[in-house]
Amino acid sequence: MSVLEVTDLTIRFGGLTAIDGLNLKVDEWEIVGLMGPNGAGKTTAFNCITGFYKPTHGRVFFKGNEVTKVPPHRKAAMGIGRTFQNVGMVKSETALENLLTAQHTRAGYGPLQAISGSSVVRQRERDLVAHSEVILDLLGLSAIRDKRIGALPYGTLKLLELGCALATDPDVLLLDEPSSGMGPEESDELGERLLSLRQELGVTMLLIEHHVPLVTAVCDYVYVLNFGKLLAEGDPESIRNHPEVIAAYLGGEAPEALEQTELPQDQQELAEATS
Amino acid sequence: MVADTQALPLAGKRERTLGRLGVRLLAALPLILLVLLLPAKDDNFSHVAAYAAIFVMVGLSMNVLTGYTGQISLGHQAFLGLGALTGANVVSSGVHSADPFTFALGLLIAAAASGGAALILGAVALRIRGLYLALVTLVFGSVFSDTIFTLPSLNGHDAGVPAYRPDALATEYRYYLFALAMVLVCVYVDVWVRRSKVGRGLIAVRDNELVAQAFGVNVLGYKLIAFTISGAMAGLAGGVFAFWEQAFSDKDFLSVAGFNFALTFVVMVVVGGLANRGEVIAAAVFFALVSPLSPLLPWVADHTHWGTFYGNNKFYISNVIGAVLLLQTIVMNPGGLGQVIGPFDSWFGGKKFTLHDPDGDAGVGAMEDSSVRA
Repeated sequence: MSVLEVTDLTIRFGGLTAIDGLNLKVDEWEIVGLMGPNGAGKTTAFNCITGFYKPTHGRVFFKGNEVTKVPPHRKAAMGIGRTFQNVGMVKSETALENLLTAQHTRAGYGPLQAISGSSVVRQRERDLVAHSEVILDLLGLSAIRDKRIGALPYGTLKLLELGCALATDPDVLLLDEPSSGMGPEESDELGERLLSLRQELGVTMLLIEHHVPLVTAVCDYVYVLNFGKLLAEGDPESIRNHPEVIAAYLGGEAPEALEQTELPQDQQELAEATS
Repeated sequence: MVADTQALPLAGKRERTLGRLGVRLLAALPLILLVLLLPAKDDNFSHVAAYAAIFVMVGLSMNVLTGYTGQISLGHQAFLGLGALTGANVVSSGVHSADPFTFALGLLIAAAASGGAALILGAVALRIRGLYLALVTLVFGSVFSDTIFTLPSLNGHDAGVPAYRPDALATEYRYYLFALAMVLVCVYVDVWVRRSKVGRGLIAVRDNELVAQAFGVNVLGYKLIAFTISGAMAGLAGGVFAFWEQAFSDKDFLSVAGFNFALTFVVMVVVGGLANRGEVIAAAVFFALVSPLSPLLPWVADHTHWGTFYGNNKFYISNVIGAVLLLQTIVMNPGGLGQVIGPFDSWFGGKKFTLHDPDGDAGVGAMEDSSVRA
């Protein structure tokens, strides 16, 4: 049985059709990639799946049950975890506190009980801290346990965010560009980490990713979106050589564009200014 | 050990050693003695101190709503007033002392009534943020006060509702100790809000509602929880206020007086430092001592020949002080008093004195994300 299934998903914002009839399926134990150029509708698809947007039509199934209209916080409680494109964490809190916050639905006591400060609450809080420390350890982040996350570098934040998503105890994890802000080596490391997380925790994943080596390394299956429509699907190898995919990403003249390495904007400006 | 560090109220100052704990206890001892013994001096002192205790309760109430959740409320005088009105009306019987049971019941119903009213305001204001939220709460506060508190059947036909205390609390000092106990109740609630998933949920809502939802926090539900807890605390404070004055008078919560309250409450929580419990308490005490109703200023005026000046400018004194401190806080130390004290605090705990907190200040973050900044 598929953990996550999306059928005929369509969402319109005014006159713009952001996603048009998307069908997508993630089976248990799979890592599925979602690719596509900027503005293709990948993050919108995530937002529809996780309930942040209400699709115009189409349905979302989680473990065989329809969850299209379930609000995001309840989906998180059901086991659909997600990360955000621009690091989604509570920035005024420390790494540990973020992991505790992420375990909100696992706390096992109600708000009234919490205020009473009963022994149950104390015990549960100790358990939550212990579990957070296991996650920190797993990701090699124990050193930043008590650091406020506003002061941490971007790559570390992305990793910690992954940890927070894991702390929500998801059955399926939706990762929005987990390797952004990382160098090639770091992203290789991330790939290995994702694979080992699946091995150890049995998490099924759907990830938005641009980094082709990472997609090839970890994904079992890849969907490619362009202008809200499904352009291609298949195993990573076939997608990589798919002519339409190459055209969509690179605008037609694929081979030359592939060779070209572009400087980031600020470096370009710097180069112009100094020459 | 793990639980201990987690339990610390001030985020970011987690490496508490045994030695530091000892130092703190030693430092707290004179403070505890001061709080307990100074008001015992005479009735006037006790009366002022009890008033400060009421302000502290309101400060903690604002701390939950504005500090943790980032929701501004410019209508908090309504919750305080509703608590006072309810408390007074429950025990009002014309006799000159209330029986303890009715008295306790009055305070409970006061908290419940204000909690309920705050829940309604919360429900109305759920999806409103920033300036608009400030406006909605402002209007709610003044309209609620002007309609409910002026009902003749509830305000003793404009003559005020007597709220006599039980015999056991008849003296000012005893009543002060009782008010202090109620403060401890509020502190206890605040501590457990902060230590548990409730506080983490509220802070997540304040910082980023999308992230809060992704973590499974019911954003709308938690905003309502914040409004309700905050309202109930303010209601309890209102009940204590009614018995402090031994009467409910609608004049205390209407128009200028009411708005002055509301403004002071917001200013004290910001000046104290959003989400910094200890500092909010300190700021609340300070603003209680300079507020128009404070019995301290007339006392000072009497003893220093400032009587005329004070009499003419009663309402402006706290506002001017408040405005200056608010500006100073927002421009120079958005983390509030906590940010000012922070370096000394860590120095006191055996660390190097530095004005720059390497881990950043939670209070600054709270300011950036809250509706206070609009």
